[in-house]
Amino acid sequence: MMKPTLLLFVGAALVGTLATDALADNNSNASQTGGRRQNDLAQQVAVRHRRLLVKNRFEVTPLFESSIDADYQHTVGGGLKLEYHLGDMFSIGVIGVGSTSLHTGVVDKVLATLPDTPSDTSKDPSKTQFLDHLNSIPIHGAAYISITPWYGKLAAFSSAFVAFDFYFQAGVSFAQLKSDCPPNVCTDTHPGTSLPGQNDMSIPPDNDPKNDPPLNDGNRVGLYLGGGIHVFLSDFLALDLTVRDYAFSDNPSGADYNADQFVGNSPTLGDDNRFLHHLFFGAGLSIMLPTTVKRTP
Amino acid sequence: MKPLRMRTLRHRSRSVLIVALALVTSTAFADKKGSKPKPAPTAGGGGGAGSGAAKGGGDAGGEIEMDSDSGAAKGSASAGAGSNVDSGEIQMDDDQNKPGDLAADLNASDQSTAVVKSGEVKKTPISWKDITVVIRKPFLKVRRTELNPFVATTMNDNMIRHETIGGEFAYWLTDVLAVGVEGQYYVHSFEEPYDLIARQARRLPTVNQYNWSTALDFHYVPVYGKFAVLDHKLITWESYFTAGIGVGQSEVVPRDKAFPGFTNLLIQPNIGVNMRFFLAKWLTINFGIRDYLFIDKFEPTNRSAMSNATAAEAQANADSAFVNNIMFQIGLSFWLPTSFDYTTFR
Repeated sequence: MMKPTLLLFVGAALVGTLATDALADNNSNASQTGGRRQNDLAQQVAVRHRRLLVKNRFEVTPLFESSIDADYQHTVGGGLKLEYHLGDMFSIGVIGVGSTSLHTGVVDKVLATLPDTPSDTSKDPSKTQFLDHLNSIPIHGAAYISITPWYGKLAAFSSAFVAFDFYFQAGVSFAQLKSDCPPNVCTDTHPGTSLPGQNDMSIPPDNDPKNDPPLNDGNRVGLYLGGGIHVFLSDFLALDLTVRDYAFSDNPSGADYNADQFVGNSPTLGDDNRFLHHLFFGAGLSIMLPTTVKRTP
Repeated sequence: MKPLRMRTLRHRSRSVLIVALALVTSTAFADKKGSKPKPAPTAGGGGGAGSGAAKGGGDAGGEIEMDSDSGAAKGSASAGAGSNVDSGEIQMDDDQNKPGDLAADLNASDQSTAVVKSGEVKKTPISWKDITVVIRKPFLKVRRTELNPFVATTMNDNMIRHETIGGEFAYWLTDVLAVGVEGQYYVHSFEEPYDLIARQARRLPTVNQYNWSTALDFHYVPVYGKFAVLDHKLITWESYFTAGIGVGQSEVVPRDKAFPGFTNLLIQPNIGVNMRFFLAKWLTINFGIRDYLFIDKFEPTNRSAMSNATAAEAQANADSAFVNNIMFQIGLSFWLPTSFDYTTFR
């Protein structure tokens, strides 16, 4: 009984093998174009039955954000990112962050050496003058479009397998800047300009930027760039790590930048604000809605 | 040890065919015993049993399964089809095709048929968590030497920026552990606040420049993965940690050029995290962040013709501070030998 079965098995295997080779050759011939052999894989998608972790889903991300390598004030805060994924690759979103400010090491070191009340002839600012000219960013955010060209999965310690994707964002940034220099500190009412005086004489500018208003508050609109990674902890939860660049006009020190002896924000008389990049690192937890995912064919 | 020669895909297709025919035979025997025939899977290009052996891969051919969740489903589909395997297919896990697993695969096939269509994910009794092997690593590092030229820049100093050009020579003891020697040469430039603080606050910043550094490093790779670019090309990557110990030299930048600076020899432990993307068997591109930790000596604040005028006096009375010098690195790695052999079956 065994022998005929084995012979039949081997015979069928041989026939099947020949058929396989023949069909494989046919496939190869069919895929030859212009005398060049091409692999069938070239026309295939990279991944089948892929979980569509972002397509047509709404992403809500509470997040933490901190500035990177700030000059005078660290900006640390929390906020929310709302994003809708139009497809598997493109999405639109907004982000808003409320922050508080912390002195950088530079500010602390400079403050330690500044006098409380410098002499009238000194050009050193007082501690109060230096501090009150610095501005902060209590609110900032952006509206953007996002592209997610890379997705994949990783193995950590050969035991945890998680999906991830990389994304890049570009859009419009906005920021609310705040500085508070009281009139008894910023005493100059006409920085950089002369005032009419008695007998057709004019009062020249004092050429002392220390007592000029900082002129570095208000709302700003600029450019936004970002790049980050989603690490999916489940079908609807993802760790969201991002580096963001909010670029807008700013004068963080509130002092004379262009060395014209006064602090100004006029394009004609002199503007100490300049286009600066404000780098932030953000970490958040993305909640994807709906919580269930679909698959590609 | 002589490396094992891997079988070609054609050999594999024949072997799989033979196994598949055996499965068909055993299924037929099972039918005779009264069990209901299972419907042939329709998804994944399953061409059905028998002749499907040859073509079946029209859709399934060359498939690279990204998601283990569907791995069970796919495995069952292939098994259910009897021989739904194409010579171009990249086999995920031979164990899935064992005859002994056929019953379990068939039990899951009904549910998996629904799973592979677009729709909600359904949990099956055979969980993707049971599958621990994805594909064999496309890049082996064990007993290979890595030559890594790189450039780097400062990330956390708003007074002085350093750019470096450097290189590392690393030998991989295993596929996840390496030991290497690195060296860097530094050039510096001053950032905007360096000038602004001097003009606006009338304070001259005290900074040191770095000249060179070298270190003995150890690398460990706990994370590897792959990703698809624009849903077309797959790229594998890995992430690894670095820890090392080394020495470097810093040099005081005198606030007043009338006084000489001095140099310091620094003991520099370092830690870092890096990502590596595999471009070819002999070439990778690396990105990393490295934190060099050391205690540096800075120019004393009270320096004049009467005090700390010489370099030796200034160095003796220098102010010490702990420094984290965080650098972003990008580089290419060239691997020797330029190719490798697998020593185990996939």
